[in-house]
Amino acid sequence: MKNLINFLIQYSVVFLFLFLEVISFTMIVKNQEYQRSVFMSSSNSMVSGMYEWSNSVVEFFKLRAANDNLSEENTALKNQIIKLQNKLQTLTPEVDDSIHFRIPPEMEYEFISAKVINSSTNKIQNYITLNKGSIDGIKVDMGVISDEGVVGIVKTVNDKFSVVVPVLNNKIEINCKFKRNNYSGPLKWEGEDYRYANLNDIARHVELSLGDTLITSGFTSTFPEGIPVGYVEDFKIKESDAYYNIKVKLAVNFRTLSHVKVINYLNYKEQKELEKSSEEQQ
Amino acid sequence: MPVVLQNIFRFILLVLFQVLVLSNIQFLGYINPYIYILFILALPVHTPRWFSLILAFGIGLTIDMFSNTMGMHAFATVMVAFLRNGAIKLFTAIEEGNNPTPSFHTFGVSAYVKYVVLMVLVHHTTLFILEAFSLAHFWLMFAKILLSTFVTILIILGIESLNKK
Repeated sequence: MKNLINFLIQYSVVFLFLFLEVISFTMIVKNQEYQRSVFMSSSNSMVSGMYEWSNSVVEFFKLRAANDNLSEENTALKNQIIKLQNKLQTLTPEVDDSIHFRIPPEMEYEFISAKVINSSTNKIQNYITLNKGSIDGIKVDMGVISDEGVVGIVKTVNDKFSVVVPVLNNKIEINCKFKRNNYSGPLKWEGEDYRYANLNDIARHVELSLGDTLITSGFTSTFPEGIPVGYVEDFKIKESDAYYNIKVKLAVNFRTLSHVKVINYLNYKEQKELEKSSEEQQ
Repeated sequence: MPVVLQNIFRFILLVLFQVLVLSNIQFLGYINPYIYILFILALPVHTPRWFSLILAFGIGLTIDMFSNTMGMHAFATVMVAFLRNGAIKLFTAIEEGNNPTPSFHTFGVSAYVKYVVLMVLVHHTTLFILEAFSLAHFWLMFAKILLSTFVTILIILGIESLNKK
């Protein structure tokens, strides 16, 4: 008995060491659940409060670039308004009732603008923290875009902050298609360079050319159709392969990302419920 | 008591520096130095081992909270704290009565450099392997480990050499 106690005392440090390592390892393995327990991730209010403070300093230096972007977008939008107005005028009433004019249901969405207060690009699993949360209407699974293109998908939300899984994370795939010919496939990031991702699911018979634009396919209710994802930078195919190995230059520069829009798809619930109920009927 | 205060100060400074500055600097996309490990390296030599393990777990978890990597930093840092005493015994001969803080001055230049290199290498290797969680991108990981270790060591030795005493 005395020996046993001596033994335990002698090796207590080793036991403590093993105990702490097991705790840490369990956390890593259960990462998913821990992400959801918002307290421990960077949407934790103390942590994000500090990030917000540090971001307000850094942002000052990015103001000029952000301004340039905004004014560019502004002019593009104005042009669009003019075009649409012209179109509308040519279409206006031959028949005077409102039934003929209806927005298609899959196009009914609105944007919630938010600011990036923390992000990384050099890990294999990167995350982005936004300064808007459930108070502002953000929910899990909403899509996030910037003026340039697709950013990622909301993963956790608390009252004031939310964490986004960006394209630069090997845990998600974004379903996209070629603007030119509608062939679609999942885009995946391999963890090497924040500027490029890979698309490996395009069959051999498809014709490709450098610079082809990839846009969101609209098959998921997260992103509407037609938001730019990236451009074909390079593609390879071996004699024996059935699929291309395509290197895609991402539309968004994740290093300079500061303002984003979260997509609130208004008919999300209706669509999901209908799809679910028709599955159950079978 | 001043030693305790000094360490509390070091903890706060290193965490802030790590989270607000270093994690935002991304040289070449490969290099992210983790300086906060200096906190464990600079604990007084005869700090009780169980205590340094708990401190390591604490600082690791703090960094984890900021970088959304639950457990990874905690794991790597606890590993370093565990191996620290062995490394000190291996490279130096500290007398029983003394309880110095590791530095160029107390260890001697070559012993201190060896100590820092070994500890940082252990930490970064553990960390990056955990991050990748597979050997699929072996060479990428290898490059990251080597480059980041190199930069971390440079910065730590830089900070220490400014510490005149």
